[in-house]
Amino acid sequence: MNRLGSPRLSQFVAILAGALLIGATLPLYANAGIVFLAGLVAIDIVIALAFNFLFATVGVLSFGQAGFILVGAYAAGVAIKFSGVSILPTLILAGVASAFVAMVIGLVALRRVSGVYFAVLTLAFASLGFVAVSKSEFLGREDGLTGITRPDLELGIAAISLTESVHFYYFVLAVCAVLIAVMWYSTSSQFGRTLKAIKQDADRSAFLGINVQGFRVAAFVLAGAVTGMAGALLGPLTQIVTPDLGYWTQSTKPILYAMLGGSGFFWGPAVGAVLFAVLSYATRTLVGMTEVITGGLLLVVVLAIPGGVLGVFQSIARLVRRRSAR
Amino acid sequence: MLFDIATIVFNALTWAMATFLVASGLTLIFGVLHILNFSHGGFLMLGAYLLFSVTQVIGDDLSFAGYLAVSVGAGIVIAAAGLIVDLVVFRRLRNVESAYVLIATYALLLLVEGLVKGIWGAGNHLVVPPEILIGAVFVGPVLLPYYSLFVIVCGVLAFIGLEWFLFHTTPGKLVQAVAIDPWMSSLLSVNVERVYSLTIVIGFALAGLAGGLLAANQGLSPQLGGISIIQAFGAIIVGGMGSIRGAFYAAILLGLIDAFGTALFPAFPGIFFYVALAGMILVRPKGLISSEFAR
Repeated sequence: MNRLGSPRLSQFVAILAGALLIGATLPLYANAGIVFLAGLVAIDIVIALAFNFLFATVGVLSFGQAGFILVGAYAAGVAIKFSGVSILPTLILAGVASAFVAMVIGLVALRRVSGVYFAVLTLAFASLGFVAVSKSEFLGREDGLTGITRPDLELGIAAISLTESVHFYYFVLAVCAVLIAVMWYSTSSQFGRTLKAIKQDADRSAFLGINVQGFRVAAFVLAGAVTGMAGALLGPLTQIVTPDLGYWTQSTKPILYAMLGGSGFFWGPAVGAVLFAVLSYATRTLVGMTEVITGGLLLVVVLAIPGGVLGVFQSIARLVRRRSAR
Repeated sequence: MLFDIATIVFNALTWAMATFLVASGLTLIFGVLHILNFSHGGFLMLGAYLLFSVTQVIGDDLSFAGYLAVSVGAGIVIAAAGLIVDLVVFRRLRNVESAYVLIATYALLLLVEGLVKGIWGAGNHLVVPPEILIGAVFVGPVLLPYYSLFVIVCGVLAFIGLEWFLFHTTPGKLVQAVAIDPWMSSLLSVNVERVYSLTIVIGFALAGLAGGLLAANQGLSPQLGGISIIQAFGAIIVGGMGSIRGAFYAAILLGLIDAFGTALFPAFPGIFFYVALAGMILVRPKGLISSEFAR
């Protein structure tokens, strides 16, 4: 029974290494457009994993994750445009900024409201961020911040230029791998197990002396920081940061990925993100087809296969095993 | 100055009643079935596009009565769609965690959006209001467009109609009973499933009707569903989820705050809606009227 659980360390490392291998060899045979999309998918995977960490591990439904993408992307965009720092401090700054925003929202909102109310509250906060940013003169209003460069990677002894698209793609892969590892560790460590206990039964957890609110806020801050750092990669990757990153449909994408792949599995959101990217790439020329397919798929998944794609695979695997055992 | 204030209040009321028309069906369904229906905005948009298509076929010089009749027709079609949605989706998710239901309704919104894009294209369309609603009247120095007056009248009528239905008719009282305690109602031989279906049909009919009535209020685009649902969410949360009266007052309150905020700080149009929304949720998380049915 591995439904709520996350894969064991060896399994996790093997899957991550396999995914990285595919990602790293992609520029050898795919064109630049596909490689660019793959970078976006890697970022999407991190954002979806962070959402699912909240949803499946903590039991908090957030409809406002785009707000953290927005904070991270703009924090990084401003840092790069106006201060010219190297890339790692930029990412850390973006992480701290979105962690701070998550902490404020978590402290005032998680305590008061839960469930659907919290979902809509996060939606409202993210929309507030979207409107505020798109009206701000300093942040370039609706046009956003344009001409964002790719700062060097300073490693103390040497500075590596990331200006080349392929170089930056490898950098995105590396950062995403680290963030995925952070999400995995947070899910499977004692911290993650405590969160699962709270999700199962908050009252009993409180009786056992667990600081329920503290853990919830901490998890929300962690997911916010990871989402913000992933969002920070978007500016340098696409060379532009626009308020659209914080539009509410961006918040619903990670939900879609998690449901599609299977929110009960650690890798579910990643599977969903890749599957969705393939589907929308295949249907990109048909007007409205992307929405029909994603909406239809999501509906089918929620109605018929709540375990998602990985859930179906697991059932098939179990069936096969039972057959062979007979 | 005084006239400026009168204009601002009038515009705020127009916005508020348009928002209430969207929010009324939404909050009714939430109050009875506890489903926060993301797709409500989508079906409203579908109603508006249906009206647009009718005007394309029979010419866009509809009379006032014709415009109303087509809007009611849109309401009936969307109500039928609601019946199908209830059978195929909501009924199967009665005992599922609310997060999954929310996600399912979001999937429906996506489906409708895709459908609209596929049938009518991704571009904008314009519906011409009936001739009688074009133009404006001066009341003193304040300019009141006829269409805005029409929207305000529609909103107030919808409010009065719903209040009358819920508190003064037998089916309305049954809806209330089921909202308060479905189990007890079923013991009293109320067909709970049928009341649920009735509620959904009324809620969807309101969406389709609102879509028709408001079609000429703004340009039609596939984004209409998402935009209108966010504003309506705001009104029903501030008003108290499930409360018709709360949504009515909240729409007016939010409209006034946003209109005066925008008048005072013209550099930030539209931001005060969200500021007021976030502030209200933090001060009164359960809304102005916490539950109308449970009084």
